[in-house]
Amino acid sequence: MATKRVDPRGGHRPGVVKQTAKGSTNRFFVLLGLVALVGVIALGTLVARSRANRVVTRDPSLPAVKAEGYVMGSPSAPVEIVEFADFECPGCAQFATLTEPDVRTRLIQTGQARFRFIDLPLDIHRNTLTAHLAAACANDQGKFWPMHDAIFSVQDRWNTQATSDPRDVIDGLAKQVGLDMGAYESCMDSRKHLARIQANAAEAARQNIPSTPTFIIGGKQVNGAIGWDEFKKAVDDAAAAASPAKTAPPAAGTVADTTRR
Amino acid sequence: MAIALVAMAGLFLSLYLTLYKLGLIGTLACGSGECETVQLSRWGDFLGLPVAAWGVLFYIGVLALALLGLAERWEAAPRVSISLVGLTLWGVAFSAWLTWLELYVIHAICRWCVVSALLTVLLFGLSVWDLRSLTRARAQAE
Repeated sequence: MATKRVDPRGGHRPGVVKQTAKGSTNRFFVLLGLVALVGVIALGTLVARSRANRVVTRDPSLPAVKAEGYVMGSPSAPVEIVEFADFECPGCAQFATLTEPDVRTRLIQTGQARFRFIDLPLDIHRNTLTAHLAAACANDQGKFWPMHDAIFSVQDRWNTQATSDPRDVIDGLAKQVGLDMGAYESCMDSRKHLARIQANAAEAARQNIPSTPTFIIGGKQVNGAIGWDEFKKAVDDAAAAASPAKTAPPAAGTVADTTRR
Repeated sequence: MAIALVAMAGLFLSLYLTLYKLGLIGTLACGSGECETVQLSRWGDFLGLPVAAWGVLFYIGVLALALLGLAERWEAAPRVSISLVGLTLWGVAFSAWLTWLELYVIHAICRWCVVSALLTVLLFGLSVWDLRSLTRARAQAE
């Protein structure tokens, strides 16, 4: 565009013609094509690498997950799915609302797997700790999972962008899931479960968890929210890997199956 | 030509961010990166489309106009240059709004978004320069 010049010799339009030589134009299109080619190759490489890195084999030298978290499903299920999640993380909400319902009905309730949720509130989310505390307080009343679902379902109403005081919305959710509000408010005001949440987050650090949501399924680590098909395959692979060895369930004291739904 | 090259670079940058937003590059995950914070915030979408996808449409528009301006039929037509100035001015305004959101609302800076904003400003500058060159050329010709 910036190549127009006045051609004193005149041209196809009076006084204004292109002076750029044909060779120069050709070089430009070659250069433009090269930029496009480099872009396509770079994006293709990134997509391919991302797919390859989504489900990775865990470093076998990492310690077993010891955090109690919140468990749904049978202790005798052959596969344990561990999720490290942040209530304010949109990726976690995406998984909770799109994929997790299938995981529950088709894997957990059928006894093929059990699910362990471990708190990983990230510093970048200012309101997330309130949500984690509320879920832990709901757990005191045996309602962690209904509260978990309620918190994720309206994440956009209480997250950092929506409000500086998430208690209003989250307390409303507590009422909605039928908590004893006196006990709940006392639990929240005293931040009763702060140490537990911090211990769960410390577990994530021990496991080198890079982001949320991250899942540990058998010997694999799944980075990010994935769809049902990919998730089912990871569980099937873990079951197949565990089956010949008849792998024992996690060591005593590492599973607290107190919050089954 | 420079406008087309810059627009092509911007197109791939916004494509990268769009693919990220769709979870096809990296993971749609929450880490400590500020790009993720911005992309996954409520302002990561605009009118039902990821903001990055609007960037793709913007750069395609600029690229198309720039290539159109190279065609013999349109090379001296001020309409193409005026359209480029208008489109890139809109891009600058939109980028300014997004940068303001990052600084004062989201409190996180996505460096790729900043690069895109700089490319948009550069495109606007080149478009203005192109229009001025064309206007002068026409004036001299007359």
